[in-house]
Amino acid sequence: MYQFEYHKASSVEDAMKKLASADDGKILAGGMTLLPTMKQRLASPSDLIDLSGIAALKGIKVDGKTVTIGAMTTHWEVHSSKDVQKAIPALSDLAGQIGDPMVRHRGTIGGSIANSDPSADYPAAVIGLGATIKTNKRDIAADDYFKGLFETALADDELIVSVSFPIPKRAAYQKFPQPASRYAMVGVMVAETDSGIRVGVTGAGPCAFRVPAMEKALGAKFAAESVANITIPSDGLNSDIHGSAEYRAHLVGVMAKRAVAAA
Amino acid sequence: MDMKGEYRIPATKQAVWEALNDPETLKTCIPGCETIEKTSDTEMTATVKAKVGPVSARFKGKVTLSDLNPPNSYRISGEGQGGPAGFGKGGATVSLEEDGTDTILRYEANAQVGGKLAQIGARLVDGAAKKIADEFFSNFAAHVGGAAARSDTSEQPAADGAGIKINHEEVKPSKTISTATWIVGLVAVVAVVLLLFSVL
Repeated sequence: MYQFEYHKASSVEDAMKKLASADDGKILAGGMTLLPTMKQRLASPSDLIDLSGIAALKGIKVDGKTVTIGAMTTHWEVHSSKDVQKAIPALSDLAGQIGDPMVRHRGTIGGSIANSDPSADYPAAVIGLGATIKTNKRDIAADDYFKGLFETALADDELIVSVSFPIPKRAAYQKFPQPASRYAMVGVMVAETDSGIRVGVTGAGPCAFRVPAMEKALGAKFAAESVANITIPSDGLNSDIHGSAEYRAHLVGVMAKRAVAAA
Repeated sequence: MDMKGEYRIPATKQAVWEALNDPETLKTCIPGCETIEKTSDTEMTATVKAKVGPVSARFKGKVTLSDLNPPNSYRISGEGQGGPAGFGKGGATVSLEEDGTDTILRYEANAQVGGKLAQIGARLVDGAAKKIADEFFSNFAAHVGGAAARSDTSEQPAADGAGIKINHEEVKPSKTISTATWIVGLVAVVAVVLLLFSVL
């Protein structure tokens, strides 16, 4: 690796101050995407501001109606939390399917959501469960958060503090993993929430999105056959050596059916 | 990989052509473009700082024009050097067509990658390329459309407040082919390199 300045922030305010004074600084959460990118020399920030020493960004709280997860909580902690397993088993299940053991023990929910990789798992939960992203400045609703390929509503001087998931009546996440990376070729979170049915899809498009046609059909009847005949247009979906846009569109239907059956 | 696209630009073919000939316009519209230099009638180099997600890299691109058929179509080939990351090269056939008061720009491009970039894979290639192209053309449409709307004032500050001065100088009528080509070429190059970069 090349040289850069390493800073360990003591608080969110401290982190933002250090970021502002850096020439070309980057926030470091778990580093599961940023560090490999730097090793490949595809990014060369002048400063890294490490959030790992900020206790306020860690931990899981359940308060009756919502599960709030600190931004620096690892996938493993979410997966193995008894509270999450009891309140939203689908979320624990999703966290346990991310990447490999190293990624699950180092990677964080805040890092994943801030990066908004189109194939990451957490965005499906954020969209599918209708979560609220809490930053150092404001609360952002899931539907307003994901803007495009690696693009979110976050401003340059904005940091995710925690993510709050309303506890659904029932929910399930099903994904078709890319066999080497375990990234989601397509992943679908289906949830019956207090405000209706939500279907959140990751892996298929530039960023996570909802499928209103499926939500409507499941609202009328919550059964796998309700989504069986709903086709997703492949326009604008991701296409790469692992699968065409048409293939991914088809997978959305398959994963949605499985998720409904599992919910 | 292959990609193609079509963009409607709210300006006349002539205005689009002229804007495409103006390096300052190109510099303003190409996402992350730092410098553009014309090295001959059919060649130009550019430095672009590309950013997609975690990837942020500065690379040099070189663009060459051929099969010129002004002002209707041309072939543009580009090559991008991404330092230790590898390289990408590609080409595009571009055409302009008048449609009422608008101009339709179409391109068909293909690209290859080599070096480390090729090993890393091609995840999201299309997505990244499309994102860059969309960003460029929406900037361009806003710029050209906006410039046409206020063509009588030359002191209008740039709307983005970023301090970029829009150059309203007369574009010299040029018998050489438009920098239009450049633009698309550059976009193709940027797209190619970016897409390579977004593999992680």
